[in-house]
Amino acid sequence: MRILLVEDDAEAAAYAAKGLRDAGHVVDHALDGESGLNMATSGGYDAYVIDRMLPKMDGLSLLSNRREEGDETPALFLSALGEVDDRVSGLKAGGDDYLVKPYAFSELLARIEALGRRRAAPTDVVTRFKVGDLELDVLTRTVRRAERKIDLQPREFRLLEYLIRHAGQVVTRTMLLENVWEYHFDPQTNVIDVHISRLRAKIDKDFDKPLLKTIRGAGYRLSDAE
Amino acid sequence: MLRILRTTSFRFTLIYVVLFASAVALLGVYLYNATFGEAAKQTDAVIDSEISVLADLFSTSGSGMLTRVIRQRTAWSDDAIYMLIGAPSGAVLAGNLTALPPEALTAEGGFFNFKFEKPLVDAAGREVGIQQREARGKMMRFRASADAEQSYLVVVARDVASREFLRERSRSVVTRAALVTVAFGVVIGLIFSRTLLRRVEVVSKTARAIRGGDLSQRIPTTGSGDELDDLGSNLNAMLDQIERLMAGMREVSDNIAHDLRSPLTRIRNRLNNALEGDAEAKDAALRATIDDSEKVLATFNALLSIARIQSGEGAGVMKPIDIVAIAEEMAELYEPAAQDAGFDFKFIAAPTPQIKGSRELVSQAVANFLDNALKYADGGTRIELSVGRSKSGGAVLSVADDGPGIAPENRERVFERFVRLEQSRSTPGSGLGLSLVSAIARAHGAKLELSDGLPHAEGGGCGLRISMTFAPGD
Repeated sequence: MRILLVEDDAEAAAYAAKGLRDAGHVVDHALDGESGLNMATSGGYDAYVIDRMLPKMDGLSLLSNRREEGDETPALFLSALGEVDDRVSGLKAGGDDYLVKPYAFSELLARIEALGRRRAAPTDVVTRFKVGDLELDVLTRTVRRAERKIDLQPREFRLLEYLIRHAGQVVTRTMLLENVWEYHFDPQTNVIDVHISRLRAKIDKDFDKPLLKTIRGAGYRLSDAE
Repeated sequence: MLRILRTTSFRFTLIYVVLFASAVALLGVYLYNATFGEAAKQTDAVIDSEISVLADLFSTSGSGMLTRVIRQRTAWSDDAIYMLIGAPSGAVLAGNLTALPPEALTAEGGFFNFKFEKPLVDAAGREVGIQQREARGKMMRFRASADAEQSYLVVVARDVASREFLRERSRSVVTRAALVTVAFGVVIGLIFSRTLLRRVEVVSKTARAIRGGDLSQRIPTTGSGDELDDLGSNLNAMLDQIERLMAGMREVSDNIAHDLRSPLTRIRNRLNNALEGDAEAKDAALRATIDDSEKVLATFNALLSIARIQSGEGAGVMKPIDIVAIAEEMAELYEPAAQDAGFDFKFIAAPTPQIKGSRELVSQAVANFLDNALKYADGGTRIELSVGRSKSGGAVLSVADDGPGIAPENRERVFERFVRLEQSRSTPGSGLGLSLVSAIARAHGAKLELSDGLPHAEGGGCGLRISMTFAPGD
């Protein structure tokens, strides 16, 4: 992916850019809002990562500006402001995701890749998903693995739906908490891990090949690959 | 004094006075015309018709008849004035005027006003003096035929002295009333603007004091509940909020200074030492530093959240929330983790009134209760999350466990920032969890309470119950 990173803290930006490059992405970096806007206008990016507080032009204005021009490149806001209202204003300005500083790099990477995926997805609504021999049908709300029906609780279904929609990508605990439970705070105990292990017991336990993997220090990934 | 003239209220008063005075003047003019104007016109009409009657009489019956009729009329009527003079001889043939008014000759054929003297007669008919009267009338010249040498001058008039007197009186009364109104208005206006000005001055003085740095100053209110009082209490409420925010900010910066200085110092010292050491020591120091900075960041975030909730900023919009649904969701989120940790988890929901609040914050508080129960209820076997109606009719959320609990004398201290009781020193955590919950409770006007939890299976002790009681909504 070609990523535009707009961040005024050079050191933080260098750290993020290095990590993203190591993960195989191309990163351009702008130090202030105006040059960020200029670079975004020249086009060709797959995702924007924009700090909210920037010199010359703040992140919200930058993105609203691009959105007014019809630019639909997915964007993620980075911000030290983490309360719900700030999050809402970020999303209103056209942001697709919001990450509060300080963040773990794995969290940033997972979210950027999720954004890229969202863009690459075909525009028709997909209602059936498949990873290996695991199938999920959103309309009939059924899950099968190797043609065998698996009964899931409603929340387990939503959890699996989120994972399967982001199949092949790392999904962090915070992403799950935000998207499956709609909470924006981090519990101090391993509540998500326990939900994952319950889900795993249903979809992986009786089968040869585990699909739901734990990625150390990052989160989880549902994938058919080894 | 000059300041008063510049005040809005005085200007309003002035405009009001001018408008009111104009209204009075208009009313006066109207009344004047409707009464005296009408009366004058009527008098003129009567005089004209009288003259035409006399003219008819003269042309049909001659001067002798005219003389007789005029004599008769003067005898009957008191305020009717007639005079018949034969010309050119100048002999007064009939009438009650002693002399021909000089105005009569110049205004021949038209109306004229004149003064005349009238004897003052007492009840017995004796003359006791002379009275100055005023009258209005017309003088006509009658001739038997166009070329007749002999002509008669006829004066027909009406005494208008009493009417004139009344007219003068009314005019001066109306004028005086208008003047008094204006004067009164100006005085009242001055008093009003002075009073108002004094009260505004108080607001202004308070503002100056506050600008000077004394944030505790408040605008005194009179308790009358008028607009100025309203303004005062609104400004006071605003000042309260500002003071609270400033205090919050100060507290946050104090806390940041206090709570972050020591770990940062530790990091610096460790890195300093590592510079001297070998590669292995450096690695160890770096890893420890990463761990420490994670903790610093967590502390920092927690402090920031607390400050934002306290300032009312993080609460977002308080709207009606279904507290049972929130508890149910949290139960669903935590139950597996509790079971995995070896607890028997129970969720008890009773009908609960709706409250106003933030779903996010209330959920966060419940999550904190449950996190604490999971972390600190060592050796316990049960965790209970319950929601229901409080005694006072509000909603109450509580989490109880049968862990070691907290001794009653220590319970109060738990809510203070960074207080981590001796027994729990070894468990990870910033110690800010309950401070956060307490900020959330304050933002919702809710009450936090620690009490006895679930009884231990043996030994007669009990665990801890933490409950958050929301005041009944409206």
